[in-house]
Amino acid sequence: MPLEPVAQLAPALLDGGAGPAASLLGVSFREGYVGSVIAVSLYVSLTAVALSTLISVPAAVAIGLTEFPGKGFVKSVVNTGMGFPSVVVGLVVLFAVSNQGPLGSLELIFTREAMIMSQFVLATPPITAISLAAVSGVDDGVRDAARVLGGTRVDVALVVIKEARYGIATAVLAGFGRAISEVGSVLIVGGNITSADGISKTRTLTTAIQLEARQGRYETAMVLGAVLVALVLTVNAVVVRFGDRGVTG
Amino acid sequence: MLRATGVSRSYGDDTVFRDLTIDVDAGEVVAVIGPSGVGKTTLLRTLALSLEPDEGRVKLDGTDPWTADEAERLVLRRRVGMVFQEASLFAGTVARNVEYGLRVRRSWSERIASLFRLSGAADAVRESLDVVGLTDKTDQPVDSLSGGEAQRVSFARALAYDPDVLLLDEPTSDLDPRNTAVIEDAVGEASDRGIGVVVATHDMHQAERVADRVAVLLDDGITEVGPTAEIFEDPADERTRKFISGELVY
Repeated sequence: MPLEPVAQLAPALLDGGAGPAASLLGVSFREGYVGSVIAVSLYVSLTAVALSTLISVPAAVAIGLTEFPGKGFVKSVVNTGMGFPSVVVGLVVLFAVSNQGPLGSLELIFTREAMIMSQFVLATPPITAISLAAVSGVDDGVRDAARVLGGTRVDVALVVIKEARYGIATAVLAGFGRAISEVGSVLIVGGNITSADGISKTRTLTTAIQLEARQGRYETAMVLGAVLVALVLTVNAVVVRFGDRGVTG
Repeated sequence: MLRATGVSRSYGDDTVFRDLTIDVDAGEVVAVIGPSGVGKTTLLRTLALSLEPDEGRVKLDGTDPWTADEAERLVLRRRVGMVFQEASLFAGTVARNVEYGLRVRRSWSERIASLFRLSGAADAVRESLDVVGLTDKTDQPVDSLSGGEAQRVSFARALAYDPDVLLLDEPTSDLDPRNTAVIEDAVGEASDRGIGVVVATHDMHQAERVADRVAVLLDDGITEVGPTAEIFEDPADERTRKFISGELVY
């Protein structure tokens, strides 16, 4: 069955898939199911990426603007982090939040918060590494000018962030892409759980697609996949638009 | 006002200059001439109080920034402006660039408040742009400017916060005669305002046109400092004479 454009599908899917638009597709969803899966996906991924950005961008600026022994080694470690196997990250986070783990008392196992932790770990290396490359690429003359004209370290950092904004936006998008497309670790720490009425608790678009495909419901899996792609495109468009506006200030 | 005494600077084993003394007073224009690669830029960064000399002292009105704490050094540094060989403008509009020096001198609360203010460019921004003849470009993005215009904005940016000393590093080396003339006129305007100007240049004709005094920087130190006419017409040092006459080629 050919897929309809995602823009036409989205309202029906967000309504729970019980309306006529859903039957047009021949794909039925339980009331509120798709909307809750999208909400969990966005909540987990956007929160993880936001937290990671708050840590990664200042870290990248600090590393990029400071000369210290072992800087090359630090860069290598950050770059290596981009290749972390997500399943291993999931296992480590699962151990950390399990009853025997250091965060066991917080009872985070099979929760969205545990999924956020896992995605935070996965998103941080690419956001840091790509931001660092962008910061390092800012013309030395611009940095010198920012300082010589009376700027403090913070002023210089702000100028550098503004100059590197497209690279940093790319870094955030790469981190978001890694987070929202993640399957293995969120499956391990989140458990892919829905409540009895079919509303997602820890089920994301990716784990839902994995489940549907495994059960042979390929059309449903493809519709969910289209929704996932649409979400990523929308977030990309918003971030790029935001970056463009930043240049006028 | 700004005085470097017996300063030396090296990068690793490479000595850039050694035991060098130079000064500039309020309203005075001092040209540092010498061939490319002789250390003029390093000297200017040292005078800009952003590069600590290995030996010797740099003092602004008798205060050595390198014996002061960081906050005091920032206060001293903010009395010096610098224009680089490349314009090195920041992303944004001409006004935002020229305003930068003023902005970083404000408190954070003033800066945040200014984000919500709808008023146009500050008087100092307009005046500085007027000196370089670019008031009509105030709200243009810097990437729409020509190379010459960008360098003029760079000059206005350093002039806007009314520094006591202005350092110019080969400011016209990539410019056409018209833009060069604008910059040279602006140097005169800065001097008339009582700003001490040090201009590093390999263009001896420019030094003759704009400077009250000339320092000749050859090899690893200044060979001679003196009034412009004296340096060009009757230099005391034999190497200076050869450099000015073109016999000493680097």
